[in-house]
Amino acid sequence: MSKFIATALAATMLMPIAARAEGQIEVLHHWVSQSEVEALNVIRKALEAKGFQWKDSAVGGMSGANAQQALRARLTAGDPPGAMQFLGWEGVQWAEQGVVRDLNDLAQAGGWREALAPQLLPFVTSGEAFIAAPINMHRQNWVWANKKIFDDAGIAVPKTWAELIETGKKLKEKGVVPVAMGDEPWQIGIIFDALLSDLNGPEFYQKTAVDLDPEALGSPEMVKVFDTLREIRGLVDDNFVGRDWAVATGMVINGEAAMQFMGDWAKGEFLAKGLKPNQDFYCFATPGKVTSFQYLIDSFGMFTVKDETVQQAQVALAETIMDPQVQKDFNRIKGSIPARNDVSVDDFDDCAKLGFQERATAIEKGSMQGAMTHGFAAKPEFASVFSDVAAQFFVGKMSSEDAVKMLVSGIDNAR
Amino acid sequence: MAEALSRSGKARLGRMVVYGCLIVVALVYLMPLWVMVVTSLKPLDEIYSGSFIGLPKVLTFDAWRAAWSEACIGTECTGLKPYFVNSLLMVIPAVVLSTGIGAINGYILTKWKFPGANFVFGLLLFGCFLPYQAILIPMARTLGLLGLAGSIPGLVAVHASYGICFTTLFFRNYFVSLPDELTKAAMVDGAGFFRIFWSVILPTSIPIIVVSCIWQFTQIWNDFLFGVSFTSGSNSPITVALNNIVNVTTGRKQYNVDMAAAMIAAIPTLVVYIVAGRYFVRGLTAGAVKG
Amino acid sequence: MSASTHMSSRLAGWLPRLVVAPSLLIVIVTVYLFILWTGVISVTSSKFVPTYDFVGLDQYVRLWATPRWHTAVANLFIFSVLFLALSTGLGLLLAILLDQNIRVEGALRAIYLYPMALSFIVTGTAWKWIMNPGLGIQKVVTDLGWTTFRFDWITDPQMAIYTVVVAGVWQSSGFAMAIFLAGLRGIDNSVIKAAQIEGASLPLIYRQIIIPMLRPAMLSVIVLLSYIAIKSFDLVLALTNGGPGTATELPSTFMFSATFRRNQMGVGAASAMMMLMTVAAIIIPYLYSELREQKNG
Repeated sequence: MSKFIATALAATMLMPIAARAEGQIEVLHHWVSQSEVEALNVIRKALEAKGFQWKDSAVGGMSGANAQQALRARLTAGDPPGAMQFLGWEGVQWAEQGVVRDLNDLAQAGGWREALAPQLLPFVTSGEAFIAAPINMHRQNWVWANKKIFDDAGIAVPKTWAELIETGKKLKEKGVVPVAMGDEPWQIGIIFDALLSDLNGPEFYQKTAVDLDPEALGSPEMVKVFDTLREIRGLVDDNFVGRDWAVATGMVINGEAAMQFMGDWAKGEFLAKGLKPNQDFYCFATPGKVTSFQYLIDSFGMFTVKDETVQQAQVALAETIMDPQVQKDFNRIKGSIPARNDVSVDDFDDCAKLGFQERATAIEKGSMQGAMTHGFAAKPEFASVFSDVAAQFFVGKMSSEDAVKMLVSGIDNAR
Repeated sequence: MAEALSRSGKARLGRMVVYGCLIVVALVYLMPLWVMVVTSLKPLDEIYSGSFIGLPKVLTFDAWRAAWSEACIGTECTGLKPYFVNSLLMVIPAVVLSTGIGAINGYILTKWKFPGANFVFGLLLFGCFLPYQAILIPMARTLGLLGLAGSIPGLVAVHASYGICFTTLFFRNYFVSLPDELTKAAMVDGAGFFRIFWSVILPTSIPIIVVSCIWQFTQIWNDFLFGVSFTSGSNSPITVALNNIVNVTTGRKQYNVDMAAAMIAAIPTLVVYIVAGRYFVRGLTAGAVKG
Repeated sequence: MSASTHMSSRLAGWLPRLVVAPSLLIVIVTVYLFILWTGVISVTSSKFVPTYDFVGLDQYVRLWATPRWHTAVANLFIFSVLFLALSTGLGLLLAILLDQNIRVEGALRAIYLYPMALSFIVTGTAWKWIMNPGLGIQKVVTDLGWTTFRFDWITDPQMAIYTVVVAGVWQSSGFAMAIFLAGLRGIDNSVIKAAQIEGASLPLIYRQIIIPMLRPAMLSVIVLLSYIAIKSFDLVLALTNGGPGTATELPSTFMFSATFRRNQMGVGAASAMMMLMTVAAIIIPYLYSELREQKNG
C-alpha cells in the first residue's frame, strides 16, 4: 500500500517537470569548438526566449562524420533527433529517404527563397519541399596574409597565381615560410578547389567538380592545376604534417609564415589577438581571372516526428534560424556572413564586408560555386576521389600526368 | 678468491645492465605522458607560441578545472563530470554481466561438456574478432526494436553481449586447468549444477575474475564507437565527451584542456591497473595463459 | 570423460545446455546474423542507406579497383607483422628482465602497462608532436648539436606507417609483458636450478628451456594482439588521420570512411567482409588445431 502511495506521489511530483519539457527539441550537431559554441548559443537563447527547450547533442570530429554516423544509428533505431545540422548534400539525401520534414509553408510565409542566393537552393530544397534552414555562409577560398611581411618585402597583394608563386619564392629566400598549412586532405583540397576555378574559369569548375565530365577531368587544363599545386608544395615548410590549421594561422600571425589558404573561420584567430583587417593583416580572395566565391553553408533540417510538442519546437527553431537579427548576431561570432542576402553587414569587419560584396558580383558572374572539399559540389563518393588524389599528389612525388590519370580512373570506379 | 671476486663483479655489471635497460625503456614509455602533463599545465598562448615539449614557463591548473567542470561540450558547459558518471553507470553493470556470463559459460564448457561444446566455444571465440564498424547499423535497428536506443542500458547490453566472447575465453582456459576431481567430489556429495559453481568453482577463480574485469573495464571504458553510435547528448559516455572537447572543426584547439581531459578520462583505468596490477599478473599466472 | 555422464536426471543433463543457450543466442544474433546482414549489403548497390537490390560482386570489383584499399591492405600487412613481432619481442624482453628480482618491479610494471589505459584520441596528439620533425625528437637532438640527425618518418608517405607501428607497440607491449611475466612466474624454479647445476649459462637456459615453455603464453599474446591489430582504428585516426595523403589508411578506417563519409555503404560492407574472411582464414585453423589438441590430450 505504501508503495502505491509512494508511486502516486512520485508521479504527481514529476508532473511539473513533464509540463516544462513541453516543446523540447533535441539538436544534433558537430559544433564543439569555442567560437562555434558561442555562435550556436545565439540560436539557443533566441529559441529559449520563445519558451522552448533546447536539448543539446553534440558529436564532434571528422568534419561531421561522427555526427552522421550517430544520426544514421538514431534513424535506424527509429529515434531521430528533432533537428540536425547538415553539411553538403546530407540534408537532400535524407530528404530523399522521406525522413525530413517539409518546411515549405514556413519558407513561403517567410519569403526564404527570395532571401537566398539561387545557387544555394539545391542544398536546402528537394523537389518542391524546403528541407533545411541555412544559418550562415562561409567562403573557402580566402588568403590570409601577414601585412608586415608583405610591406617589409615591398610586395603587393598578388593578382594571379603566377604572381603569388613568384612572391612566395622571394619570401622563401628571405627565410620566411611563404605558405603555412597542414597536410590534412581538406587543407590541400581548399587550394585544389581554388585552382580549378582560378586557373581555368568557373565553367571548368562546373564541368569537373560538379558534372564530372571525363573530358575535362583528363584535359591539359587539369594537368596545369596539378602543376601549380606542385609549385605551392614548394612554398610549404617540411614540418607541415599533422599541423592543425589554427597552428598554421598562428604562424601567419606571429610572422613565421606569410600566407595561409583557409576559409573565413581563420579570421577569428586574428580578431581574437586584437588584430585588424587591412591594418595588421590582409584578407583577399585567391587570385583568378574571375574572382570566385566558393561557399559552404551550415543548415538545420527537421526530422519527421510524431510528438506534437516537438513539431511546434521545430517550427520555432526554423523561424529562429531564418530571423535576420539572429543571422546577424550568429555570423558576427562565427566569422561567416549571413546565408540571407538581405541582412546588412554594416556592423561586420572589413573582411566580411569584402566577402559580402564579392558574393554579389560572383552571383552575377556565375562564379559563386559550392566548395567541393566541404561537400558542396560533387557527391561525397566522387569528392573523396578528388581529395584522395590531391592529397596523395601533394605529399608524394607523383607526376601531374599520373595524378590526372588516377583522378579519371578513380572517378570512373566510383560511378 | 680472485675468481669469485671477478664473478661477483660480473654479476653486478649484469645487474646494472638489466636495471639500465629497464629504466631507459621506462623513460621512453613515459615520454608521451610527460608531454601530456606539461601541456596540461601550460596556458594556451604558451603552447601556440610553439612550446610543446619543454617545462611550462607559467604553471596553471586552469585546464584541469576546465576539463572537469567547465569545458563546453556543445552548448552545455558542464565539463566531463556528468559523463564520468555515465561511464561508471555503463561500465560497472557491463563488466559484472559479461564477467558473470563468461564465468558460467567457461564452467559449462569445461566441466559439463556436451557434444558440440568445442564448436560452441569456437563460435563464441570468433566473435572476439568482429570489426565493430561493420555491425553498427543492424545493432542500431535491434536496439530500436528492443526500445533501448539512445540509453545507457542499451549501451550496457551491447558491451555485455560482445564482452561474452572474451570473458568466456578467459574462464574456459582457466577452468580447463582445474582438476575434474574437484567437481566430481562435490557431485558425490550431492551438490548440483549451480551449487558446485557457487561453492566449488567460484572461490577458486578470483585471479581470473580479476583478469576478466580488468580487460573488460579497459575495453568498455575506452570504447568510443558504440558510445557515439548508441547514445546521445547527456547520456553519452566520457569518451564521446572527450572527443567533443578534443575534436575541433573550425575553431582553435585547447591543447591544455585536451590533455587534462584525456588524463581525467584515463584515471579510472589507471587506478585499476595500479591497484589491481599485481593481481593481474597473478591471475594471468594462475591460468589464463595456459591457452 | 565429462562430468555430465554421471548425471542421472534428464533435466539436470540438459541444464548446462539451457544455461549456455542465451549466450549462444546473443552471439548468433549479434555476431553471425549481423555478419550475414553485412554480407547481404555487400552484394547490393547500397550507397547512402541500405537498398536491397542484388548486383552480384560489383562492390568487390569496385573495392579492389580502389587504390586506397590497396594501400589499406598493404598497410595492414606491414602493421600487423611488425606490431606483433615488436610487441611480442619487447614484451618478452621486458618480462625476462623484470623477472630478475627487480626491486621496483611494481612501479616499472605500472609504467609499462599504463599506455593501455589511455584513450588514443588524445595520446595520438602527444605522439604527433613527439614525431614531428620541427617540434619533437628531431628538434631536441639537432638542438643538442647532432645537426644531421633525422627522424621525420611521419612526414614521409613511405615511412609514416612505421610511426603507427611505434605508437601501437608503445601502447600494447606492456600488456604482452604482463602475460609473459605471468608465464615466467608459472615456471617451476627447480628446472632452472637443475640446468644451472649442470653448468648451463643463463642466456642458454632462457633460449633452450624457458622460452619454449612459454608457448601457451605466446599464443595468448598473439591472439590478443591480433585482436588489437585488426581493430586499430583510433590509433591511425589520432596519429596521422590516414595521412600523409592516404599513406596510413588501414582496412578499419577505410570501412568507416566508405560507409559514413563517402556514401559507399556497399563498398564498406565488401571491405568488412574481406576483413572477416582474412580473420577467419587465420583464426579457424588455429582454433581447430587448439581444440583438437585438447581433445586428444
